[in-house]
Amino acid sequence: MTEAIRLTDTDPRFVDEIKKAGGENILMCYQCGTCTSSCPVREIDERYDPLKIIRMAVLGMKKEVLSSDIIWLCSRCYACYEHCPQSVGVTEVLHAITNIAEKEGKEGNIRIKSLKPRLDGVFNDLIRKYGRLFEIKFFAHHALLSKGVVGLLSSAPDGFVMFRKGKLRLLPHKIKGMKQIERIFKIVGANEK
Amino acid sequence: MKFAYYPGCYLHGTALEYDMSTRAVCRKLGIELIELDDWNCCGAVEANNSLSIPLSARNLALAERMGLNIVAPCSVCFHKLSKANKMVKGDEKFRKKINEMIDGQYQGGVEVRHLLDIIVNEVGLERVSKDVKVPLEGVKAVPYYGCLIVRPSEIAKFDDPEDPQSLDDLIKATGAECLPYSHKVSCCGGGLLANKEDFALDMAKKIIDSAKRAGSNCIVVTCPLCHTMLDFQQSNIGSRYGITIDLPVLYFTQLLGLALGLGVKELGLDKNIVSPMKLLESIGIG
Repeated sequence: MTEAIRLTDTDPRFVDEIKKAGGENILMCYQCGTCTSSCPVREIDERYDPLKIIRMAVLGMKKEVLSSDIIWLCSRCYACYEHCPQSVGVTEVLHAITNIAEKEGKEGNIRIKSLKPRLDGVFNDLIRKYGRLFEIKFFAHHALLSKGVVGLLSSAPDGFVMFRKGKLRLLPHKIKGMKQIERIFKIVGANEK
Repeated sequence: MKFAYYPGCYLHGTALEYDMSTRAVCRKLGIELIELDDWNCCGAVEANNSLSIPLSARNLALAERMGLNIVAPCSVCFHKLSKANKMVKGDEKFRKKINEMIDGQYQGGVEVRHLLDIIVNEVGLERVSKDVKVPLEGVKAVPYYGCLIVRPSEIAKFDDPEDPQSLDDLIKATGAECLPYSHKVSCCGGGLLANKEDFALDMAKKIIDSAKRAGSNCIVVTCPLCHTMLDFQQSNIGSRYGITIDLPVLYFTQLLGLALGLGVKELGLDKNIVSPMKLLESIGIG
């Protein structure tokens, strides 16, 4: 038997947090399941269920939603967003949820097992530093984070093929307008605190 | 016809052949591209809009100063720039806030277009057909649109989100056969490659399977992330499933360039990971 949901353990403010974080229309959802049936990730692993994530969020099951590994598996294809008959903006709602999880993780309130926030962090750090993506460093970090040193070494032949074809730059390109980039990161960082 | 060209990070790196073929094809079709001076990353991976909107807005402001609309060949950049543009144009208060963040003066006077949209709807297929020097008879292509070039349709705008036709029509204009198949707007899995590789490879495999079932001898794409999944990752998909795939994946600009009589090297066709040379030889090119 599945365990009952104790409403006394839920957080009714969770839905307002989601609204503020970019999921304004979450309460428009009438649970038709079009999002779930459109989802290509769900086709591969049925544990990934946008309908269920939204329902749990609306019920205020903050702890259960945010500590789940599942929420990080959105491929950002916008199929659910496009098909939703209620204009819930499903993709944006799911992103709002991961954004809240990331914040709670940074504050030490939850432990996030998924690599996703750390990988995004690597990408953002490169943009902060150069204004553009420095691919070789990005790929190396990815390999190291997701597969360890062995993974990094085993990706070397792929890297060599790219390099030989002239597709990998060994030195980063720093844009001239770094002052503006630094300003953007600084203001966004301050807003998020 | 003149545009501010926004290549984006991938076209200056692993998608070099997309940049080369874009420039070559545009030259041939009379589209003048002026690379946006000092452009920055659109904020691609970030799900949170807080960074990607000001990052994209800085590029929009640069284009506005040039007095030109933006053309982007990468579907991810196209999506991010268009989304930022929509949000900034629609809300004056928000625009002020973003201008303050970028220390700039974007007034909302720029349009963002995908390169496919420009070639099909501005240059037009009539002109393209007239310029075809080498009809690509023997090429059996499936058109792969992927996600962000058509979805969300309120942002992408220029084609049908369920059954788009612009790439189909362009393939036909080159003299190649355009085959119907089931996965033209399915997701390549690119967004999951970093943190859930096995899912990403499974998703890309479905597209390749569908393309093979249709009897195609190449997949035509419009986005560097899709290309990474279907071309660069093809050998990984093969080893994961214990199969040999060997299906060339061309950027639409490479296919179009061949039909316009441009050279293999000029179009960067030696830079694709899955070599298209056998296919090209079979139709008498290369």
